[in-house]
Amino acid sequence: MNPLIFWGLLVGLVFGFALSRGRFCMNSAFRDIIVLKDYTLLKAVGVAILVSMIGFTIMDKTGVIALNPKPFFWGANMVGGFIFGIGMVLAGGCASGISYRAGEGMVGAMSAVLGLTLAGLMTSMGSFKPAADFLQGTTKMTLPDGANLTLANVFGISHHWLAFGIAAVAIILWIIFAIRGRKAEKEEKASLCARIFKHGWGWKSTGIVIGIVGMVAFYSSAAAGRNYPLGITAGWVTILKSLVMGENFLNWIAMMIIGLVLGALAAALIAGEFRLRAPSPGVLIQTFCGGLLMGFGAVCAAGCNITHILSGVPQLALSSMLAGAFIILGCWAAAWWMFVRPMRKL
Amino acid sequence: MTDETKVDQTLDVRGEICPNPDVRTMTTLEKMEKGQILEVLVDYPLSVERIPKNAENRKHKVVKIEKVSGPEHRILIEAKANK
Repeated sequence: MNPLIFWGLLVGLVFGFALSRGRFCMNSAFRDIIVLKDYTLLKAVGVAILVSMIGFTIMDKTGVIALNPKPFFWGANMVGGFIFGIGMVLAGGCASGISYRAGEGMVGAMSAVLGLTLAGLMTSMGSFKPAADFLQGTTKMTLPDGANLTLANVFGISHHWLAFGIAAVAIILWIIFAIRGRKAEKEEKASLCARIFKHGWGWKSTGIVIGIVGMVAFYSSAAAGRNYPLGITAGWVTILKSLVMGENFLNWIAMMIIGLVLGALAAALIAGEFRLRAPSPGVLIQTFCGGLLMGFGAVCAAGCNITHILSGVPQLALSSMLAGAFIILGCWAAAWWMFVRPMRKL
Repeated sequence: MTDETKVDQTLDVRGEICPNPDVRTMTTLEKMEKGQILEVLVDYPLSVERIPKNAENRKHKVVKIEKVSGPEHRILIEAKANK
């Protein structure tokens, strides 16, 4: 076993802690654009992507890491992403959301993780594998030299300049909106310690911390032989595979998941928020089924929301942008059906 | 629990998954008469932070937020108080 995989445990601990304190969940972020019209978590996701985009680009330019965008297979990215998006609404959380809430003691999230892991394993090596292989194999596209497509290389522009350009435009737009819509967000009057350990974090702190965790993850994961930043599904699948086959397959990403759950558990215990709590049996079945859809979708699209939206979009991977867009579309379709439509009938 | 505020309706969403506590609180408030008090029992941290904010945005008035134990909170909201 490569001792460097223990860095994954450390990265996971910080990641899980930040997810729990920031209540960071992409399902809420995207769903609440149409359901609650609350954009707080969406802003946190935006900041995290921006920080990672700038960080990855600097790290690549200075030779600390080498960018590794996921392969582009449009059919699998679209179908997998859409199914994943539907699944996360049923599961009540994205891949990272259900993982950290399992650590906080929410049984509904644990049942979703079970579904995600089971379907993930069945799709990566079991009976669902042919479906994913077919979609990936028949729709794969690369550059003539075999490179995976990114927004930069399909147009033949420099990756570094494009990434910095997008970041600069985003920051300028952000400043303009911040000046125009200044509504004096309430400043908390509490000690720094209480704000870190006891209260929920604001969207800016959450986004910045998660963006930096992504950078450290890329470096330490590559050092351990896995050249990619954060992911979720592969970690759970590796843990289950080790348990089922009785062989130690634990790698950086599996250790990261163990750390993530422990980090969220620690965060909840320190804040006095830990408790085992369960919804009705019907909802437990619903979250399990949601997890199953997520597991298939994630492996089919070669990534869940973390692999694609948090780790792939900052690398300008075309696969991640397409899968990310379809995750959002799937999320909206399910959220409209489950929440918006019934509310209109009132 | 002794409380001076009279509660007209109680919504127990403990253990519920995201976003059921939020959605059920908002739909229940919409159906209530102006001035009635809704008691929400909730233990999902994101909803504890978000329900008061979204209720205020929808012209209801948050009367009280109280920590019961662990993650569990009790939120009292007056329906359509600001209208």
